[in-house]
Amino acid sequence: MVNPISYWRLKDRYFNLVGSKCKKCGAEWFPPVKVCRKCGSQELGDHEMPHTGKLLTHTVLREPADEFKRYAPYILGLVELDNGQRLLAQIVDVDITSVQNGTPVRLTLRKLTEDGKKGTIYYGYKFTPLP
Amino acid sequence: MSKVFVASAGLVQVGEHWSKSILDLMAEASLLAMNALPDAKPDRVIVGNMFSGVGASQEHLGALLASQLNLIGVPAYKVEAACGSGGAAVHNAFLSIKAEESDVVLVCGVEKMKDMEVGRVTAALTMADSAEYTQFPGGTFISLNALTHALYLKKYGISREEMAGFPVLGHRNAALSKHAMFKKAITAEDVLRSPLISDPIRLMDSSPVCDGAAALLLLSEKKAKELHAEAVEILASEVAANLFSVYERPDPLDYLATRTAATRALERTGLKLDQMDFMETHDAFSITAALTLESLGVCKPGKAPHDVSTGRFDLTGELPLNTFGGLKGRGHPVGATGVYQVAEAYLQLSEKAEKNQVKGAKIGLTHNMGGLDTTTFIHILRRAA
Amino acid sequence: MGILGYGAYVPLYRLPTTEVARVWRGEGAGPNKEKAVAHDDEDTFTMACEMARRAVRMAGVDKLGAVLVGTESKPYVVKPTSTILAQALGQHFSLAADLEFACKAGTEAMQFNIALVASGMIPAGLAVGVDTAQGRPGDELEYTAGSGGAAYVIGKGRDSLATFEASTSYVSDTGDFWRRPGEKFPSHLGRFTGEPAYFHHVESCMKAHLEETGHKPSDYSWAVFHQPNPRFPVEVGLKLGFKMEQMEPGLLNTVIGNTYAGSSLIGLAATLDVAKPGDRILICSFGSGAGSDAFTLEVTDRILEKRKLGVSVRSMVDRSVKVDYAVYTRFRGKLQD
Repeated sequence: MVNPISYWRLKDRYFNLVGSKCKKCGAEWFPPVKVCRKCGSQELGDHEMPHTGKLLTHTVLREPADEFKRYAPYILGLVELDNGQRLLAQIVDVDITSVQNGTPVRLTLRKLTEDGKKGTIYYGYKFTPLP
Repeated sequence: MSKVFVASAGLVQVGEHWSKSILDLMAEASLLAMNALPDAKPDRVIVGNMFSGVGASQEHLGALLASQLNLIGVPAYKVEAACGSGGAAVHNAFLSIKAEESDVVLVCGVEKMKDMEVGRVTAALTMADSAEYTQFPGGTFISLNALTHALYLKKYGISREEMAGFPVLGHRNAALSKHAMFKKAITAEDVLRSPLISDPIRLMDSSPVCDGAAALLLLSEKKAKELHAEAVEILASEVAANLFSVYERPDPLDYLATRTAATRALERTGLKLDQMDFMETHDAFSITAALTLESLGVCKPGKAPHDVSTGRFDLTGELPLNTFGGLKGRGHPVGATGVYQVAEAYLQLSEKAEKNQVKGAKIGLTHNMGGLDTTTFIHILRRAA
Repeated sequence: MGILGYGAYVPLYRLPTTEVARVWRGEGAGPNKEKAVAHDDEDTFTMACEMARRAVRMAGVDKLGAVLVGTESKPYVVKPTSTILAQALGQHFSLAADLEFACKAGTEAMQFNIALVASGMIPAGLAVGVDTAQGRPGDELEYTAGSGGAAYVIGKGRDSLATFEASTSYVSDTGDFWRRPGEKFPSHLGRFTGEPAYFHHVESCMKAHLEETGHKPSDYSWAVFHQPNPRFPVEVGLKLGFKMEQMEPGLLNTVIGNTYAGSSLIGLAATLDVAKPGDRILICSFGSGAGSDAFTLEVTDRILEKRKLGVSVRSMVDRSVKVDYAVYTRFRGKLQD
């Protein structure tokens, strides 16, 4: 799944939603891209996405991969950030029976998983409806 | 450029094969196909498989199979396109024959899923989607489909109950088939009572975890003439790739890869969709079945569940779908599925489909997706006049 | 020089103490009504991040010269929480360190920041007091050991919402509460944690602080003390000559329990949420081991504007979801193998 080194490479992505911004046309992309999907330019730089957005739709996942079993069931949402970019993220601080699509949500950092008691703790983005 | 013919097929029954390894499965299917036409000695071996490395600690399956079949010195390799690996293998074989680089290609799709416990299979299947932005945030492949299922129900005001028609159809056809995993018909109530995996997708909306292997011998025009094996021709083999993850797409419900590959295949063959006598589609989940039909233009947007309920897609209906049960009823040993589909089309077109026979079937289409319409493989096959 | 911004965080979940009593005693409740419980995907870092981002947003600073996290529930025993926080805040050119002094590690972080800013070494720094405190199952500390805390950006200049007038620290080797390496839960000496520990250090520190500043209790609008339980801060406050009204906004143990290194800092945040320009505030922490830090602050008129950028402690206390003892043990990892 993930290892400490691939996690280390990704920390700006996971902690601050750093994606890509096209230097030529200004389009923003998350997840990051190698070639701008709007204008085709290869001149892209790192750029932090807005930390707020809204919940487009969601699912309650009951059968996750092994690493996430201890947290099941949990909510996975399709979140649309304020700049229109969308991503998949867990939704927290809300009960599985009362989560509403359309709710405004914001970034919060939580534990995603860890390599057992001895290993690395992996933190990453989740979204919450709480202020 | 040569025409491409399917000369034989070997299918292992899809199911739980505790006593068969991944090699056992692919060898069994391959020998079935090869022994049906002993004079056709493969000059190329292509294996389609998704995650033998993770499940069996074994990559390099093409060479392994060729070595065990005693095909020394023959080009042999594995191709991978997630759950479209089977379609990819057929496509690759098609290209090699078309380019006149091979005369007899053994194509084998295989997957061994049952050795892995559920949490690991779930993780393995999700390798079809982004490691960094789907797997790691806690997503699974099913959950991505669940999101599109939820969006679909909301967009068209469709009830959860209406989607049950797809698995019901799959099981009904599978019950008639020798090589299908499931032998019992199910009802819509069975589907709706089955446990939720990733809301709104239930256990019975999903194709099963299973083991299986299917093989084909593809022949060049020259070889097919020589061996009088020109019954079934592959007219087109087209592939298209979509933006990788569903959340990267402007419209998550648009199966662009399916549409693009299908359009190309129809253009190449000069055929129209309504000329298809049957279709084998990628019904990994009820939602993929619905969106495939709508993206192909077989059903109007939002109307696929209704059309299923009219019997339009039954074996005796206007457009028989998933004639041996599809991914839901026959099973979905992921990397093998694309080859099962072409093998089933071959059985239909060579009138070997027995209880699953579509009467008078002349032209058929297979649709195999890697990921969530991320790489889609369309094959159109025709019975010789 | 003073506080440029502050932010608190209290997790959503609450464990009523009647639940703890039900499991271990069959009936009754603890000294507090309920305590805040972190979800199983939260820890000291994730909470520190929430508090810190709020404080930094209120402060409106670009650069932090220090990121100091005071806690006794570090996610790693060796590997600083503060560097994870510094990374999340984008502050690579900062002095990042984790501090441990039981429940006063947060005010310690504040003390160090004051020194770093006052000396001119850094323009502004972050002090965080945060814990996901654990009580041994069945032990009386389990009633109160809660999760939460607050963060403060300390800096120079006219932008302070409250300025520091003075600070005092007092320590002695008093082993009232401790945890040896490898142990999951702390140990303590029961009633000894009262008079010779909490009361002695708070009173000694306060006596010196009031002498230094020349203030009387009535010179203060507000007083915040460390809150291991609902009773101690009220007892010591009254004994020192403060009145209930002065302490009221900062008393949170009843509803969120003892957030250890976060306790006095979150009491301060709750007080700042209601303070008026010109108010003088006293805060005195206590950490087992043992020691106290006392600070006198004066609120400026910047508080009215700045407060609007925050999330009030009251709003976080009021939004809560109760859990039972079983779910609590899952959240707090007591069932993990």
